[in-house]
Amino acid sequence: MNSFELLLQQLANGLTLGAIYALIALGYTMVYGVVQLINFAHGEIFIAGAYAALTVILMLSGLALPWWAVLGLCTAGAVLGCGALGWGIERLAYRPIRRAPRLNAFITAIGMSFFLQNALMLIFGATDRQFPTLIPLVRWQLGGVTLTLIQLVIWAASGALMIGLQGLVMSTTLGKAMRATSQDLVACALLGIPVNRVIAITFMIGSMLAAVGGLLFGLYYNTINFHDGYLVGLKAFTAAVLGGIGNMPGAMVGGILLGLLEGLGAGYLSAQWKNVFAFAILVVLLLFKPRGLFGERVAERA
Amino acid sequence: MRRRAALALVALLAAGCGRSQPVVKIGFVGPLTGDQAPVGQGMLNGAILAVEQAKAQGPILPGLEVELVALDDQRSPTQAVSAAKKLVADPDVVAVVGHLNSSCTMPASAVYHQAGMLQITPVSSNPQISRQGFETFYRTCATDDLQGPAAALFAVRELGARRVFILDDMTTYGRGLANEFKRKLKGLGAELLGHEGIPQGDKDFTPVLTKIKAYEPDLLYFAGMFPEGALLMKQRLRVGLTSRFMGGDGLYDASLITLATPEAAEGAYITTIGSDVRQIPTAQAFVRAYEARFGPIGAYSAYAYEAANIALWAVRTAGAKDRGAVLAAMKGLRDYPGIFGPQNFDVKGDSLIKVIGIFTVRDGRFEFVKTASWD
Repeated sequence: MNSFELLLQQLANGLTLGAIYALIALGYTMVYGVVQLINFAHGEIFIAGAYAALTVILMLSGLALPWWAVLGLCTAGAVLGCGALGWGIERLAYRPIRRAPRLNAFITAIGMSFFLQNALMLIFGATDRQFPTLIPLVRWQLGGVTLTLIQLVIWAASGALMIGLQGLVMSTTLGKAMRATSQDLVACALLGIPVNRVIAITFMIGSMLAAVGGLLFGLYYNTINFHDGYLVGLKAFTAAVLGGIGNMPGAMVGGILLGLLEGLGAGYLSAQWKNVFAFAILVVLLLFKPRGLFGERVAERA
Repeated sequence: MRRRAALALVALLAAGCGRSQPVVKIGFVGPLTGDQAPVGQGMLNGAILAVEQAKAQGPILPGLEVELVALDDQRSPTQAVSAAKKLVADPDVVAVVGHLNSSCTMPASAVYHQAGMLQITPVSSNPQISRQGFETFYRTCATDDLQGPAAALFAVRELGARRVFILDDMTTYGRGLANEFKRKLKGLGAELLGHEGIPQGDKDFTPVLTKIKAYEPDLLYFAGMFPEGALLMKQRLRVGLTSRFMGGDGLYDASLITLATPEAAEGAYITTIGSDVRQIPTAQAFVRAYEARFGPIGAYSAYAYEAANIALWAVRTAGAKDRGAVLAAMKGLRDYPGIFGPQNFDVKGDSLIKVIGIFTVRDGRFEFVKTASWD
């Protein structure tokens, strides 16, 4: 394994992690885009997606279905479950205080995060849960670089979802309504755009992406714990800020960049500072570009 | 098994409130929630069994029932200290069994020392803890200044390791064990390719494993706990690192194999700070009683049972609900008939029964290989 192959391998490792971060970061940035709220409960929605998928897998375990069928069904379960969860959170916790000062929503979001974390602990237990390896361990050796089937699945799923989302937002009526709502909520309501529905759908889409992220996280690392949502959520939030919060392509780039930086930092500098790199880079970047890499319109709104 | 244990705990706790009968309490602290909960629970079960058996023999002190108070340290040093402070603040508590992690036992030992309360750790193996000179501190297992060298000797002499990479989890236990392993390894002529730390609780170790792969080691030694150990075992296959895997007693739990999958764990070697309890003749009665009560025996259940029994013995011998008297009684302990044989402690409080066991994973189960020497 020469140093070039080593670099490629580290990039592949980082890209896998980054693809998962990007999916979660999109939820933060979409919600911020339409209601200027940092949804701190998003990390918990992500890990709830992993638990929902695990529940479906355990329910199906007696049926001896092929792995791709189980994968399809548990994806559906996680996506629907988290979509409903996201909708419920918006309806019950955020909508009633939408007109209240910004700080109220902020504290509500933190409270929601604590609530969900403890609810998950009570429902699924405080110990690590093993997540089955649904996708067979297939490895390809390309020179000195090892790629696995699960990595390709993560890249493909994440890539397809990001392209699909971009299409949805840029070229459908719903997407147009979302973009309009993000510019001026009151004006949209006056023009007859059902802003409540648009906001609810935005929460649902963000939560569904997080659910896929949670499922992929479970499949890749094979253990999940109720408090995993916290650190991963924080990293994804960092990714969203890195790319410029409110900017969707920014969240995608931010997520992948963060994954790559973590991978390269741990691989070339020191593994023990792995978690420090992400935040150190965020601090440095924000010193020079306070709105993130692709940040826009933050100042005029504040 | 866990539910039944939890019920037992609730019953024990329920017995402690709303009733005026005077009691004497033994504390237990270990990780009861979080990723290390399976091991902490197994330890708690051992302590519960000891207290139940003591109760069956009648009041431990004239007119006083014994009661177990179990607290959770979540493997966090801060939680460990607050649990310790809670225990020493309760005048009914005269001794404590705990904790699991050296990083928890170390700061908590100062709290118990200040309160003059007997602490027996079942398994915290960092040698520094007993070098603090606390007369309140005792432990029932061997230490890492034996475990590390024994592992290095076995790796080089019997597994033929020549190129070794060391990882640890940057805790008091992990870093300490890794350093002891490294020290011995250097004297044996094997080449040390590198030594790195990983953050406890992290999930993605592929970057550091990829880096290690480039060094082409023939042995990867990990000093840390099983949640991270299982992920390392699994992810090393993903990046194509095929070197042999070896680790310390922190990996000795059945969860290691389920979390890593039997395929990824196959052929790994681990050292333990004691021998296989199922093979010790004097431990057979304990093994039967435990398995009848809780199911399969946990990795450290026997040590917690032994520590709790010794604490109970000290309370009984002291003859009074008095921390100083319990400590004085403990100093007088000679040849206590424990489950590992006659138990004695040196001036530092370390057990004189020093055994390092070596296990390997075969067909998804730990298989005892031998007891190892360290010099």
